[in-house]
Amino acid sequence: MNRAEVARRRSAHATIVVIASLAAPIVALALAVPADLARAADLLPPERAFPFSALASGPQTVEARFNVPDGYYLYRDKIRFQVEPASAGLAPLELPAGKLKHDEFFGDVATYRGLLKVDLVLKSAAPGQRILIKAEAQGCADAGICYPPIVQTATVTLPAGSVVPPEAPKKSWFN
Amino acid sequence: MVAAVVALALGVFAGSGYEAPKDGSTLLAISLPDSKGQEQALAQWRGKLLVVNFWATWCEPCRDEMPEFVRSQARFGDKGLQFVGIAVDDPAKVGTYIQQIGLNYPALIGGMGAIELSKTFGNTLSALPFTIIVDRKGSIVHTQLGVLKPAQLQGFIDKLL
Repeated sequence: MNRAEVARRRSAHATIVVIASLAAPIVALALAVPADLARAADLLPPERAFPFSALASGPQTVEARFNVPDGYYLYRDKIRFQVEPASAGLAPLELPAGKLKHDEFFGDVATYRGLLKVDLVLKSAAPGQRILIKAEAQGCADAGICYPPIVQTATVTLPAGSVVPPEAPKKSWFN
Repeated sequence: MVAAVVALALGVFAGSGYEAPKDGSTLLAISLPDSKGQEQALAQWRGKLLVVNFWATWCEPCRDEMPEFVRSQARFGDKGLQFVGIAVDDPAKVGTYIQQIGLNYPALIGGMGAIELSKTFGNTLSALPFTIIVDRKGSIVHTQLGVLKPAQLQGFIDKLL
């Protein structure tokens, strides 16, 4: 091969590469079912958008947590807890106020972002008892989608031992 | 050469992941009750440019896109555009809401089973709103998680009506 032929081959090769680079995505996209996958790829599945965990925080208390990442939020009025066994006696919840979000249809709705901690009080739980916590929550992504209610569970073992905390030493001003 | 490989890879990536069925016949075979309890078969809308929208009153972005659907239905309904809403919701709440916004297309009630149904058409996150567009020949031409923007909708109307 002489120089001119090499040059022509190179030029033809370059042309093919250019055409291929332009055609490839078009061909690939034409073959694919058009679905808005770019958005779906950015969005988290519900258990990662609203991760739930629970840990014993006292002989009869459990701290339940939702660690909601940026860009997602939960609705206060859709948070529900259940315990098993039910005989552990879950007391009525005291949920934080949350932040009000104005909704055209429902009016002002309380929402939670970031870390949500809820104290669960188990009035009749025994020391060392294993409790299953069932948490239901419902929320949305700022990107413009809403998830149906999600139920997640966690098992905690309450601390064994005395319920009565040790007394602090008494101080007297007279002795 | 590298450019060609990258371009092909990107093209393949855009098309990878869950592939929703292209044939709309499974969707058109569905029957669901409307907000008045009357069973409605989707097959009655075969031949239309069908926009099946999964929604709920508890889904704010779903509600946000509906006024535009109502406008498009009014404008292009007699040319063959047909919206059908499938609510993952309580029939009473749906009934109240659709009356409030003057919904001019059918609102079917799917309950949580509707979410499962939408999964078979590509709703991998089981979230709302989720919209499926079926052309007049019965092929699924688009699925959308999240709001369907007016410009997008108009694009399909212009091309397929």
